[in-house]
Amino acid sequence: MTAPVYSVEDLVIDLYTPSVSVRAVDGASFQVRPGETLAIVGESGSGKTVMTLGPLGLLPEGVAVDLKGLARADGRDLLRLSPGDLSALRGGFFGVIFQDPMSALNPMLKIGPQLARQAQLYAGLSAEAARREAVSLLARSGIPDPEDRYDRYPHELSGGMLQRAMIALALAARPRVLIADEPTTALDATVQAQILALIRQIQQEDGIAVVLITHDIGAVSVLADRVIVLYAGQIAEEGTAIDVLTAPAHPYTRGLLASVPDFRSEIASGTREIPGIPPNQAQLMPGCRFAERCDRVQPACHSHRPRLQTITRGEVPHRVACPVIIAAEGIATHD
Amino acid sequence: MQRMFLRRVGLALLLMLAATALTFALVSAAPGNVAAMIAERAAGAGADGAMIARIAAELGLNDPLPLRYLRWLGNAAQGDFGVSLRTGKPMAEEFAARIPVTLALLSGGGVLVLVLSLVMGLAGAVSNGGVADRLLHGLALIGASTPNFFVAAMLVIVFSVWLGWLPSFGMSGLASWLLPWITIALFPASVLARVVRVNLQDAMSRPFATTGFAKGLTRRAVLVREALPNILIPFMTTFGAQFTLMIIGAIVVERVFGLSGIGAFFIEAIRFRDFIGMQAVLLLFVVFFVSVNLIVDIAAMLADPRLRRPRKA
Amino acid sequence: MMKNWPWLILTPAILFVLIGLFAPVLMTHDAAKQDYTAILQGPSLEHYLGTDYLGRDMFSRIIGGARTSLVAMSVVLVAALVIGVVIGSFAGYVGGRTELVLISIIDIALALPSLVIALALIGVFSGPAWVWMSDYWKMIIALTLAWWANYARMSRAVVVAELQQPYIEAARVMGASHLWIFTRHILPHVLGLVVVYASADAGALVLAIATLSFLGLGVAPPVPEWGQMLVDGMSYIEEFPSLVIIPGLALTAVVVSFNLLGEAFALQKVPRAVRGGFLARKKAARVAEEAARAATEARA
Repeated sequence: MTAPVYSVEDLVIDLYTPSVSVRAVDGASFQVRPGETLAIVGESGSGKTVMTLGPLGLLPEGVAVDLKGLARADGRDLLRLSPGDLSALRGGFFGVIFQDPMSALNPMLKIGPQLARQAQLYAGLSAEAARREAVSLLARSGIPDPEDRYDRYPHELSGGMLQRAMIALALAARPRVLIADEPTTALDATVQAQILALIRQIQQEDGIAVVLITHDIGAVSVLADRVIVLYAGQIAEEGTAIDVLTAPAHPYTRGLLASVPDFRSEIASGTREIPGIPPNQAQLMPGCRFAERCDRVQPACHSHRPRLQTITRGEVPHRVACPVIIAAEGIATHD
Repeated sequence: MQRMFLRRVGLALLLMLAATALTFALVSAAPGNVAAMIAERAAGAGADGAMIARIAAELGLNDPLPLRYLRWLGNAAQGDFGVSLRTGKPMAEEFAARIPVTLALLSGGGVLVLVLSLVMGLAGAVSNGGVADRLLHGLALIGASTPNFFVAAMLVIVFSVWLGWLPSFGMSGLASWLLPWITIALFPASVLARVVRVNLQDAMSRPFATTGFAKGLTRRAVLVREALPNILIPFMTTFGAQFTLMIIGAIVVERVFGLSGIGAFFIEAIRFRDFIGMQAVLLLFVVFFVSVNLIVDIAAMLADPRLRRPRKA
Repeated sequence: MMKNWPWLILTPAILFVLIGLFAPVLMTHDAAKQDYTAILQGPSLEHYLGTDYLGRDMFSRIIGGARTSLVAMSVVLVAALVIGVVIGSFAGYVGGRTELVLISIIDIALALPSLVIALALIGVFSGPAWVWMSDYWKMIIALTLAWWANYARMSRAVVVAELQQPYIEAARVMGASHLWIFTRHILPHVLGLVVVYASADAGALVLAIATLSFLGLGVAPPVPEWGQMLVDGMSYIEEFPSLVIIPGLALTAVVVSFNLLGEAFALQKVPRAVRGGFLARKKAARVAEEAARAATEARA
């Protein structure tokens, strides 16, 4: 197995604003290797974006961030990098696709020159070669008439085209890790599938690592090799996409899959919602964070924080943080 | 785009016409004003009612107001703004001598406003809540609250009286312009610096700024390359508004520093009841206000790609 | 905003109002009384802030100046407010061609800076038809006429917005008269906004009065006024800069203080106030909320 290109270990991220402090990520670990797609799944506010982009310093301004733990990429410790080095790493080693391309692309800047600049700075191309590279990146991202689109402003393209341009921009520096933060949420249903197909194609051709942040189980089933299910800043379950999607163990994962319409799953017999709302992370209780909403809740759940236990061994172990299910369904653990 | 442009120009012309009509109606409402002044100048204290009436009749001051307005406007369009009651010179001559002075004051001050506000706003945004940010915020607040005549007085006390570096009066070389420029620029620069700061802050919290960081830019580079272009439009419109307000600054500054520009002339015209002079200067002011606003609006339109190149269906 | 700028900074505004109100009690001398045996003196127990070139007591003139400003500012503010609210509300309420004409006048008035309008009006009032009016009242009327348009525009906007509300229709169906609907339902909204805005304008008005007096077109001697004191002091700036600095500092302190007060009001009441502290706070709150809150529905 190849070494991971991006990994975090026991990551704790606290967010502070003048009025609230929030533990957005609470002791999570993940790693992603070249050529594989890791999906990080969770509801809005589960901390999936903060966990993935936080170590890169890509959180919005106005919030004070405190990161503890370990985050490594390109053999370097991200949390101890100087701001300048971290910027360079963001530009060259990582490529990021954001949720809403209409607001994520600067309305005052032409699309093409931004790509060319990335190619020039990080792929070491000459100005002319960078321009050619930018046009071919646009073409590769499925944008028709790329020569014309090169000089366009964002408002002149449709949402789907913009997301393709966003992907081209993320690829322009020839990154080793592509992070896609809800890449299809803001798009029309017909365009969503095309964008997912494009990401998969790029990943296969370039053999780069992809981290897909999503709440869309459909996207996970299309793209992901491995899945991490995040709930309230903690990992509830992780494993291969097949394991997690076909044999979910954690009550939250089961609820998540059951709430997906038309998903072929053994559990799903009609769609159903998880009752209740996620906990307020500003004032967390001890114990399992899902306890308040869980249909399998036991008294101990409120006082003891569950740890991840391996239920299927293998190159990618299937691990779940729910002693209740493990005990009730007689699942063997291998820790 | 073109239609929007034409509409805006038409609106500006209409506004100019209406505003000059209003000022004309106000200043010339009482026909006795001008005639009495002329009579007084000609005969001193000996001017009586009959003489005033005769002068008014001769000058056609008893004609209906709209007719007098159109006549006046027609003359003005041909460069005849009447003869100043105070100096006895044609207003066109006064304009030729004084407009360059006021323009020099406004343009030098305007450049200073642009530079100061951008530097202050950007420095605040770079510091982002740090000492420099707070200091600049306080400075901008004081700058936007200090009367410009007091600013002028303090500058004279420090740079002319104490240090003796710069002249406090007159128009002799570049040095004599420095204090007037600083005085006239401080207020608008302070207002504009806050506009820059606030809008930069807003832009930095928008998703495209995060994309900028993701492209590998440092915070400073994101500020300059991504956020700065996005504040162009509020910056330009506020600058336009503040630039028109600088006329008031010019009136004060020209008096304090003894610059013989339009502003100083206007105050003298008011004090000496020079209604012809007042009327001509007000026309000039209206043209100035309306055209600056027009230029700024059009420039803002051209600066925004969403307006410059509306999306085709 | 108010957290960064303690309430302490409002002291000058509060002092200004108190001193203005109790000026006759606080003055140690007659502010207009000249004393040629005591010209241009430094501070002493007799004259706390010294004397000016006519031997007038600076301390008493500063106090008297506060009263002059306070009174003039209040008169203009109230008059402009009443005129603005009446014209603006009327325009908004009646609508149609009347509204169009009134709006056009308001827009023309707003196209020119207020102080230029005030100057032009003072020029007009210098004519023979107006000799019966004192300089002081010329300034008051000129400023009022230069200031009302803002309030009129705002009042009209509020009235038009309120008229869209369903409860107005309900009141009308129930047979309420126009006057009743206006005074009971609409006027409170109009005043709520306009009064707040006007209080934020106090600083600008104090400044305008001082500027006009500085130009020799406002409050005339011997009535004490800060702008006028300052221009008088300019002649002695080399030897006695305190004659300029004292009234200048008083004026600046009051204007800074009023502007801060206006900002504090704007943060709370005026919608869409584009102020640094406000925007930043809202943004931070939103980000925090997004980070802290999870969506109510399990969308996955």
